[in-house]
Amino acid sequence: MKNLKKLFLVAMAVLMLGITSCTAATTVTSTVTNTQTVTETKTVTVDPSVTVTDMTGRTITLDQPATRVVALTAADCEILYAIGAGDTLVGRGEYCDYPVDVMSVASVQSGYETNIEQILALKPQVLLMGTMAQTEDQVKQLEAAGVHVVVSDAQDIAGTYQAIEMIGKLMGKEDNAANLIKSMKATFDKVSAKDTGKSIYFEVSPLQWGLWSAGKGTFMDEIANLCGLKNIFGDIDGWAAVSEEQVIERNPDYIVTITMYYGEGPTPEEEIISRAGWSNITAVKNNAILNLPNNELSRPGPRLADGALALYDFVNK
Amino acid sequence: MMDINALAKKNKFRFLDYAVFGVIMLIVFVLCVAIGSVRVSFFDTVKVIWSAIWNIPLPEELVNTSSIIVSVRLPRVICVALVGASLSICGGSMQGLLRNPLADGSTLGVSTGASLGAVISIAFGITLPNFPLSGTMVMAMLFAFLSILFIISLANKIDGSLSTNTIILIGVIYSMFATSIISLITVMASDKVKQITFWTMGSLQGSTYTNVVILSVVLLICGAVLLSLSEELNAFAIGEENARHIGVDVKKVRLIVLILVSVLIGVCVSIGGSIAFVGLVTPHIVRMIVGPNYKKLLPASIICGATFLMLADLIARIILNPAELPIGVVTSFVGAIVFVIIFYRTRKGK
Amino acid sequence: MLRVENLSVKYDALQILNDVSFEVVSGQWLMLVGPNGAGKSTLVTALSKGVSYTGKVCLHDRDIMEYRNQDYARQVSVMAQSHYVNYHFTIREVVELGRYAYHKGLFKDVTSTDNEIIDHILDITGLAPIQDRSVMRISGGELQRTFLAQALVQDPEILILDEPTNNLDLLYQKEIFELLEKWLREKDRAIISVVHNLSLAKHYGTEALLLNKGQVVGSGKVGEVLNRDNLINAFSMDVYGWMNELFSEWK
Repeated sequence: MKNLKKLFLVAMAVLMLGITSCTAATTVTSTVTNTQTVTETKTVTVDPSVTVTDMTGRTITLDQPATRVVALTAADCEILYAIGAGDTLVGRGEYCDYPVDVMSVASVQSGYETNIEQILALKPQVLLMGTMAQTEDQVKQLEAAGVHVVVSDAQDIAGTYQAIEMIGKLMGKEDNAANLIKSMKATFDKVSAKDTGKSIYFEVSPLQWGLWSAGKGTFMDEIANLCGLKNIFGDIDGWAAVSEEQVIERNPDYIVTITMYYGEGPTPEEEIISRAGWSNITAVKNNAILNLPNNELSRPGPRLADGALALYDFVNK
Repeated sequence: MMDINALAKKNKFRFLDYAVFGVIMLIVFVLCVAIGSVRVSFFDTVKVIWSAIWNIPLPEELVNTSSIIVSVRLPRVICVALVGASLSICGGSMQGLLRNPLADGSTLGVSTGASLGAVISIAFGITLPNFPLSGTMVMAMLFAFLSILFIISLANKIDGSLSTNTIILIGVIYSMFATSIISLITVMASDKVKQITFWTMGSLQGSTYTNVVILSVVLLICGAVLLSLSEELNAFAIGEENARHIGVDVKKVRLIVLILVSVLIGVCVSIGGSIAFVGLVTPHIVRMIVGPNYKKLLPASIICGATFLMLADLIARIILNPAELPIGVVTSFVGAIVFVIIFYRTRKGK
Repeated sequence: MLRVENLSVKYDALQILNDVSFEVVSGQWLMLVGPNGAGKSTLVTALSKGVSYTGKVCLHDRDIMEYRNQDYARQVSVMAQSHYVNYHFTIREVVELGRYAYHKGLFKDVTSTDNEIIDHILDITGLAPIQDRSVMRISGGELQRTFLAQALVQDPEILILDEPTNNLDLLYQKEIFELLEKWLREKDRAIISVVHNLSLAKHYGTEALLLNKGQVVGSGKVGEVLNRDNLINAFSMDVYGWMNELFSEWK
């Protein structure tokens, strides 16, 4: 059963977040993350080489900052663009969809279907990827072909800063990375609040397909706590199918749905309001439902701050 | 344990036995309504249902309880029971028609066909304007039926007589084919991947009284016709050639049964996703108790199928509380174990 | 009663039956005789509307394809050569199905008339004491008698039997043939049967149709058809001589 659950989590992670990190790998990587040190190399004069320690603890040295990069996870793509290195991207994972510019970059299969040949054909210097689904063999194959494999695997906001810092260094854009982190920190400081006594429910999958929510160890949970809100499913690990009865029973003050609206039928907010038996939920009574369909609260990238801000504005409006 | 005397006794299965089955089903039903993710006392459960029926206003502290029991739990339990009954009568009918105790909507490719229809409607956003049902349901029914037509005409083309082995083989191949198309659509419609994935996992969550009405009407009509065909199904179960010899209009009866089955499966799949093993296991267990005669097998399958799926759903609802397990996981798990036990005992009994 | 005109059956390029014609009238017992592969079973299948054919088969001067299956089954019952049942139906349940042709409307069930007929047939076929046994737990001979009983319960005018005593002990062979002979004595009845044993065919049959490779080799009174030359023609051996040799030892 545990394995099955993990499988679901894995599937969820790939499908929804468009990233290749997953909670299944948390135990392995988190210990590494704690002891990890980002090696500072002096870029003062002649030596243009960069050395980074990636998020599984491997040390990678490049002769000079990378100019051809393939990034498999959506979050890494977003980071690259945010630090002004989007033009170095020569390939992206198939689920990478932000910013719009990324869509014109060649797409490669990612996750379980990661295709080494496709990646090699793009002749990258660096492959940025998550920890899931790439076997040791695949990594060796890539390195034998001269591609530096760098793993980014952020599980929380702190991890996201690390990833940004690491990628910044890799691309020779440390300053931009530092600025980005600074601005994210500023946003998070702004939204930080003491316990408001209010509760929130994150709806990952609508009732029609079976309710799924985000529990402990997810960015949604972390950001809710940051904003002083109590995640009603904080007692669940990761992503899980949850009981409709419990949503009604736990009576959230706010609801955030990430369901995409396709322009026909009721909007996700309207659909939630129309559900039988939900009319007595405080959030439904007060029409306190927010739709954040663009993965703002699930990708370990710069837009986490945007998502947090949107949530903050929504709660404090 | 299964000896000739036991078989003789089975023949005496009469009204009283249905009453026993029915009472068990009712007990399970009450149990399923009384137990759930959120704990509600039995007295309060009865009270809120009673108030809902007679439209009696409730005290403030019971309003939320009423939402949980009357709007969420009750329709879900009823839907689960109806889906269980429908899938079981389908499985039983298929097993007779194809003379194969392992036949089911899934072996014939009907479930997968229905899923394909539903996935297409999700991926391409097919909805019917001014239609009370969602596009998913209509597409699932349509595709279940189209799948069956396709399988029949292919079987017909291949050997002209719709020989049962051919149909099952084509069903299995078609299933694989439909699954691959589903995967293809999933890959292509990458923006709907999430929905499709959740949908294929299957969920009876969010069942409404509208679903209850749809399922009841469909089960009532299709079930009644299937029950009226129990003599023909007996003949098919003994052998298609023999059925023809005693005067059964083989092709017509088969077509009717297949249409009814595809309608039932289409509706069930669109409401609850594909739920494995119910249609296979229930008639199997029931056959052990009442014998293979369809006059008893079908009614008993309806009752036992409802009971079985309600219990499976109960487990799915409470075992990981407050999280839920997909119901298909429970049915497959329980079903496989029960199946092995039955198989082992009958083999050993020989 | 039953008239077959220029009946031919083809599987792809293979001609199974070629231009077969004959007629059966009441009181007759037509024996279909011939070596393996002569087309006897295919002929039985064609008469049960189980295979597409060219030519014409008429029951009471009406094409059998015009009959609804149920109507046809009330006048012609067919017993197949081999049976394999997958479920634990009881003998009685299988025999009961022979009354299907008489059931009309929705939710039809067995009537008391049905039960009387079923009880009678179970008695005369010797199945009454074991009628509640599963057909998956009985001997081949008992299964054979079960399906014969089913055909008799249909109360037809014409019985078509493919090897009716295939698996039976000699005692049952004798009993079944005597039973059928008695059955035939009633008004407006006829039997068509495939019989391998030429002695039985000659003794009980009134007419014979001798087939070889889908062609009619001889047709008419049983004594005339089963003559030495015809049998040599059909079986490619001196059947007549061999039979005489075998049976002379018993004298």
